[in-house]
Amino acid sequence: MNSIVIIFLIFLAGAVLTYIGQRLSNILGSSLFLLTIFAATAQFYLRVNTGDIFSFSLNGLEMEWGITPISWLFSLIVLGLGSMAAVYSISAMKAKERLGYFYFNFIMGIFSMMGILLSRDLVSFFIFWEIMTWSSYMIVIYEGRSVQKVGIKYFLFSAIGAYAMLMAIVIIYSQVHSVLIEDLVYSFSSFTLAYKIWLPILLLTGFGVKAGMMPLHVWAPGAYSHSPMAYSSLFSGALSKMGVYGMVLVFSMLITQIPEHLLIREVIAWLGALTAAIGTLWAIAQDDAKKLLAYSSVAQLGYIITGVAVGTELAMLAAIFLAVLHALFKGTLFMVVGAIEKQTGTTNLTEVTGLIRKMPWTFIAALMSIIALAGIPPLGGFVGKWMLYEALIASDHYILVVLIFFASTAGFLYCYKFLFGFFLGQEEKEWAHVKEAPATMVVPMLIFSVLLFVLGTFPGLLLKPIDIGMQELGYAASEGHYWTMSVLFNEYGNAIMLQPILYAIIAIFLFFLVFLTAKAFKGTRYVSTKDISSSGEVPGEFENLSFKENFFQPFLRAVEPVMKRQIDWYYTLVGNGMEALFNFVRRVYTGNGQTYAIYAIVFLVILLLLKSNLFG
Amino acid sequence: MESLLYSILGVLVSLILAFTVGMTYMGLSRKITARIQNRIGPPFYQNFIDAMKLYSKSTGIHHGVMHHLGPAFIMVTSVMSLMIIPILNDSAFFTNMNFHGDLIFLLYIMTFGPLGMALGAGQTGNPNSAIGVTRGLSQMVGFEIPWVMAIIALMIRYDTSSIVDIMNIQADAGRWIMFSSPFTFIAALLAMLGMFRYSPFDIVGAPTELASGPMSENGGKYLFTMMSSSSIFAFAKLTLYVNLFMGGADNLLVLIIKTFALYMVPLLYGTVSPRYRTEQAVRYFWGWPSFFGLLAILYAVFF
Repeated sequence: MNSIVIIFLIFLAGAVLTYIGQRLSNILGSSLFLLTIFAATAQFYLRVNTGDIFSFSLNGLEMEWGITPISWLFSLIVLGLGSMAAVYSISAMKAKERLGYFYFNFIMGIFSMMGILLSRDLVSFFIFWEIMTWSSYMIVIYEGRSVQKVGIKYFLFSAIGAYAMLMAIVIIYSQVHSVLIEDLVYSFSSFTLAYKIWLPILLLTGFGVKAGMMPLHVWAPGAYSHSPMAYSSLFSGALSKMGVYGMVLVFSMLITQIPEHLLIREVIAWLGALTAAIGTLWAIAQDDAKKLLAYSSVAQLGYIITGVAVGTELAMLAAIFLAVLHALFKGTLFMVVGAIEKQTGTTNLTEVTGLIRKMPWTFIAALMSIIALAGIPPLGGFVGKWMLYEALIASDHYILVVLIFFASTAGFLYCYKFLFGFFLGQEEKEWAHVKEAPATMVVPMLIFSVLLFVLGTFPGLLLKPIDIGMQELGYAASEGHYWTMSVLFNEYGNAIMLQPILYAIIAIFLFFLVFLTAKAFKGTRYVSTKDISSSGEVPGEFENLSFKENFFQPFLRAVEPVMKRQIDWYYTLVGNGMEALFNFVRRVYTGNGQTYAIYAIVFLVILLLLKSNLFG
Repeated sequence: MESLLYSILGVLVSLILAFTVGMTYMGLSRKITARIQNRIGPPFYQNFIDAMKLYSKSTGIHHGVMHHLGPAFIMVTSVMSLMIIPILNDSAFFTNMNFHGDLIFLLYIMTFGPLGMALGAGQTGNPNSAIGVTRGLSQMVGFEIPWVMAIIALMIRYDTSSIVDIMNIQADAGRWIMFSSPFTFIAALLAMLGMFRYSPFDIVGAPTELASGPMSENGGKYLFTMMSSSSIFAFAKLTLYVNLFMGGADNLLVLIIKTFALYMVPLLYGTVSPRYRTEQAVRYFWGWPSFFGLLAILYAVFF
């Protein structure tokens, strides 16, 4: 049997068996759950090679499953993050209800994402896309009635995307008489101009919903923050990347074939940058860590969308690199929030404080991913950001780069809010009992932290597969003129050598650490956070010295005009308008026979008046 | 091996140079401010005395690991920036790591320290520190915009992101960028006001309001490290501006004259200005400075 089919069978059988196993016993369910995901991962990496193809015919439709370098690359995100999140969720979901339901949908989520990556035809792509939407919707509404609205919003937007995509697929079939992606690419240049414009727009609407592109992102903050955190890391880290994957395909295969002056690239790039800027501002305003991370995901996806849309070699390289990095650090951060939620019972940044000494390993993981998120050298995030800036400048998007830069700098604000809110600040008695999270939760986070560090010094490890994938998509080889193992180049030939820089940073750091600790760190005594200088007064035990509320109020005041309204408001406006319209239309049915008679006569009169126009 | 020793020596010499010059400037600034306010003021070497005193103190307490690491973080930034920024034109000795990074890298490495120090300040639990940090980060978002615009304008105009190349271009043309791209210089200069944190942008330390903000829980060696780090950083930033806009310097004397002239701008502007509120400071940078930044980009694109 074909190895690709075996993977799908493992997932499907595993999902069902896990569901049944969970009914029998907790341990059986969890171990089947892990076994399924690890078996599929092992099967995928050991037995499946790029170029493997499985084709079959369904009701006369040629269908094809296969793997290309670019989908192999995205499978790293799905299976890597998926397996770690699975390990994490065993402890994170302990003692929760309806675990079978959760595990089932978790496996189905990974299954559908792998399906999307392996589909070489549009019909199976669409089917897997719908399975992905359904399974994630199931998990969004995991907590029941309280999240009904969030779930409906998510589903509504997914449906809009799905219909757009379905329409595109139908148009494609009517034109090409085949659903294979390669046939589409081959014959796209012979389409009429109208189709050439509409097809990418329809497809991008579908992908844009999942990637959370403005103005289609409104579902994201709610859905990311209301799913169980074990799934949110996969949701924001991997599931949204399926939108990016679709966009990469559309931009590299279809949009290259339409004239530049139509500005589709520019429009999407600007939407991406606006998503980044506005998402960041809203992230700063959040007090709940889950919401903060959710908005931050929207913002980070904005950079990626911009990179993909600009679509030069370097921009694409940067975007895909950032996509993988985002999966790593945002996956970790959602796990961190999950760990804190489990240990303290809340994720409100204004309540939890001073956990650094209680949860040191979680703090290290959070710190590393925050540094990567902020794009500060020497961690991986910097590499992606640097390449994105250089790409935007080299491709003459000057205002765009300023906007992205603004988003990135403003990103520091919520980064600090996250770290300070949870880990630093006053240590309160209320949280004195908190212990470090269980090892199975901490280890996945730490693995990702180490990866972030490695990729910051040797980005070539990841840029190599991206390069191969991009060559498949028709780009020239980027190795040598944009990067070598640990050196990055820009368009002008200037370089950054990451390795010596890392060594220098570590050397200087150690030097001053030794310099500081020459008189022995042990010799100094730890004093509590109540023992601080406050104008000579000694703060009492129960005096509240926490600085938590209105954390960035002055900044938010400065950007107030931009944040007056959420996009939600406009949607609500449209919704209310529609409702009013329907109410009006309803009045047509008065229930009075005389009125209906008038309608009939008026209709006839109109017909007679327009007779020559309509039937002539 | 010999080259490694040579470069380490180069780093140490530039470090000592930056420390001495930076400290002297800080001392002079106190003197100048005092004279403007009709006081006598401390001698210009007062900062060296303070530094020595702080260093010789032994520290008794700490607030945890992040607090302990904070000063080391900020020192890394200062030294790294100093190493990326060329000190003199065509000097073999002060090469350091000039060829290992570019302008955008510099921009990012400059934010490494403040964030590290912010973490250190956060762990102390002093509310003043945290307030200072939030103000500092907000202000950073403000002045980065015109500053980035200026840097982008430079990159567009001169097709390079390397500081050394920009210095060579000025040397070849015989004309400072300050004059050949005036808008870029104005935008960068206005951004510098925020970078140096003198009045009206001294909202981070905010004497008499926040009790020196993020620094407030640090004493002894911690404070010494922060103090010397900020001197080194000030020197590095001034040298960067001289390199980018004033044609660099051929010898140390010229460098000192140019940096001192540049240093007077934020200092003298500060002595006659009261403090802004945070949102005013942030918005200030998004007004005229960003407008000039935009002009600089347009100028670079079209001329």
